[in-house]
Amino acid sequence: MRISPPDAYWKKDVVLFFGKRFALAIKMLYPLAIIGPVAASDIPAQYAAAVIGIVAVMAGTFGAGESLTSDLNDGILVRVSLTPLSPYRIVFEVLAVNVLLDFLQLLPALFVVFLLHPVPLVWIFAACVALFATLVAANCIGIFIANFTSSPADVLLYATAILFPLFYVSGFFRNQNPDGILLALRSFVPFAYANDALKTVFGLTTSTAPLEAIVYPVVICGVMALGVCFTAPHLLRTRF
Amino acid sequence: MVKSPEPALEAKNIYRRYKSSGRGVEDISFSVAPGEVFGLVGPNGSGKSTLLRVLSTAIEPDGGTFFVAGADGLREKRKVRARMGLMVDRPTHYGDLTGRANAYFFARAYGVGAAKAEAVVSELLDFFDLAEYADDRVKTYSYGMGKKLALVEALAHRPEVLLLDEPSLGLDYTSQLAFQRKVRELSETGVAVVLASNQVDEVESLCDRVAFLYRGKVIAQDTPEALVSSVEGVRRISATLRNPVEYGPVAAVPGVGRVVPEGRNLVVHCGERPGIVADVVAGLVRSGGDIVSLSVERPNLEDVFVKLTGEALRRED
Repeated sequence: MRISPPDAYWKKDVVLFFGKRFALAIKMLYPLAIIGPVAASDIPAQYAAAVIGIVAVMAGTFGAGESLTSDLNDGILVRVSLTPLSPYRIVFEVLAVNVLLDFLQLLPALFVVFLLHPVPLVWIFAACVALFATLVAANCIGIFIANFTSSPADVLLYATAILFPLFYVSGFFRNQNPDGILLALRSFVPFAYANDALKTVFGLTTSTAPLEAIVYPVVICGVMALGVCFTAPHLLRTRF
Repeated sequence: MVKSPEPALEAKNIYRRYKSSGRGVEDISFSVAPGEVFGLVGPNGSGKSTLLRVLSTAIEPDGGTFFVAGADGLREKRKVRARMGLMVDRPTHYGDLTGRANAYFFARAYGVGAAKAEAVVSELLDFFDLAEYADDRVKTYSYGMGKKLALVEALAHRPEVLLLDEPSLGLDYTSQLAFQRKVRELSETGVAVVLASNQVDEVESLCDRVAFLYRGKVIAQDTPEALVSSVEGVRRISATLRNPVEYGPVAAVPGVGRVVPEGRNLVVHCGERPGIVADVVAGLVRSGGDIVSLSVERPNLEDVFVKLTGEALRRED
């Protein structure tokens, strides 16, 4: 399969991602630079898991939201939407390629984590799937935000406003053992499953089974992805 | 009876108003036959770009409808987009991709096969003198090169209808000629072209018919010849001066409608009456102008533009 010159939206993003060597090096190194020392340290498992979760969520949300709003501002995305390509396909490709590239950035750091904290293969798989789902959710939030603003700065603001309550509900820092309505809410937040899987990787025991950490976030993110793809005509509209 | 061919583009009572500014277009109807070049002319803010945005399916009209090669512009947007080539007034590209990659990406997005896309893109890049820069990143391109690349992107899929918004603005002279040659060539092969431009000489030389827009309405629509003949009795006196002057005395000459400074030139639009040329020259001399050359030209679309917008203003008063 030929990637360059690109003949599809996702290929264009892949070409751009690998096209700038210095930026590529930074993109690949910064998750490692943050997560590597955390994995090597002896900080409590819940905080180590939280750091990885937050890096993934922030990278996903800001990455998708900022690149989308900058393309929308520029007018190039609207120009692409005036080709016969389906707007739903464009948004799906934006989502899919951003998630895959974000995951690729996280892989070296995850490799270090699994190397320093050996766990059964099923938990490695569960953590990877749950983190992938977290990236899908984070990118969905970024794309959703781009529906309402064309300013990258606003993306940061809105993302923070949306993510902080979700972090709280997920049990990243406080609220480690929620009950009642918070527990019910937590089960709908895909970040929570990545958090549980990573806690297990770092040596804590949680009530989440590996299968739960795989199936639930995939289902939730599938629904989120579907929902965000339906915003395509609104997202790609000409803005004044 | 011979059935007239289906219009390539047919707009019926298009109405679109922006809530924020109150500007837009209203009740615009026209049709463009295959192979016809149709010009849209009008002052800034007259609605040309808005109309093209509606026709390109970028925005929906508040009222009215349009058809592109028989496809409904409101219900069959993807069909319409596939049949249409589009160049917006401020074209943008992926700056970190090369010119060739940008053009290839758009050709493929329009459904052109891989091998054909490569061939057509190379041919068009060559035609518009971009071959040498085709593998440079677009962010290194000048404004004019970006516009030429946008033309390549608009043409690569061999559209049936071509919408061009200020296509030659910013192009160098050679590129303007190449653009005009390409439009004529496309027209001969049956492509319908809608050309929104304020470069009236280009519109006059390229277009089979022209619509004048003013404050969102079509105030005249005809062939360039018919429109120009409607301003009989108007002259254009073009004077090249050695020095710029305050041209008040020229504007005060009875019969002078408008005086437009264009660099060292002063273009005087005036009515037809005996002695008016001598009076304008006298006015120029009184203004302190040192005349290097002087020409009296036949009316052109610019005069039609001035006449029509002037009439529209008077009607509003």
